[in-house]
Amino acid sequence: MADDKDVLRDVWFGRIPACFTLNQDEVTEREAEPYYLLLPRVSYLTLVTDKVKKHFLKVMRAEDVEEMWFEYEGTPLKWHYPIGVLFDLHASNNVLPWSITVHFKNFPDHDLLHCPSNSVIEAHFMSSIKEADALKHKSQVVNDMQKKDHKQLWMGLQNGETHTPPILKERRPQTCNNDHHVTRMGKCAFVFM
Amino acid sequence: MSDSAESPTETQKEEPQPPADDSAANDEKKKIDVLLKAVGDTPIMKTKKWAVDRGRTVQSLAQFISRFLKLDGNEQLFIYVNQSFAPSPDQEVGVLFDCFGSDGKLVLHYCKSQAWG
Repeated sequence: MADDKDVLRDVWFGRIPACFTLNQDEVTEREAEPYYLLLPRVSYLTLVTDKVKKHFLKVMRAEDVEEMWFEYEGTPLKWHYPIGVLFDLHASNNVLPWSITVHFKNFPDHDLLHCPSNSVIEAHFMSSIKEADALKHKSQVVNDMQKKDHKQLWMGLQNGETHTPPILKERRPQTCNNDHHVTRMGKCAFVFM
Repeated sequence: MSDSAESPTETQKEEPQPPADDSAANDEKKKIDVLLKAVGDTPIMKTKKWAVDRGRTVQSLAQFISRFLKLDGNEQLFIYVNQSFAPSPDQEVGVLFDCFGSDGKLVLHYCKSQAWG
């Protein structure tokens, strides 16, 4: 069987070119230019878009700015899904760059979870890892790791580090038969190939 | 994210369940059995076994437990599966049951503070 080290590496280092455009209904002091960014597949929108926020805040007044959220062709983008999953779900058949609309008002509470801080993203990321591990390896991999290894996983994601995949790879045992469930829970199992 | 205010129903322990016909077995709307377990000093639910609609979200169930236990509005409730991870609030309990249920039920631990964070 082919070594899937290459697949793991391609997914980990995968980047999606995106163009962020401010929603035209937002109140601005002058015209907002779109902002282009390469998004890592294995990360979360709210973790990698600080620059997007700073860019648009330059043309807006503070009182017109609430929690930032993203939408693609009318569909609010769930930040708690990995970016690669969001792209594959919504836009993989369309031309690049991926055109995402940025909003600062009217947060859609019925469709999206709030993301007040990075610690919320970290908690969600760790839970997703544990969930995928429970599904695929009966929690063996995560339970064999120490707390500092858990922290290193998160720091690796946050910093976009390049040496994290091998840590996961050497602990990765045999394949899982529950393909159906793995697909449905794919948003969690992205790291465990 | 708000769901309907409808509460899960208690499973009938005294009466035998009516036999499920084939169409009900395939019906996505059928309920799944959930067993709620308290962690630490969190109050224990008087009724622990509930029949919950498959499509109900984790967040909706957490809100139901909070109301049932008469917790303060500002008190958080954490829900855990397999005593290891907290599922996403928008996850449906039916999917969790399919993946992590055993002996015909889904065991969920609930806690006022982070237990397995």
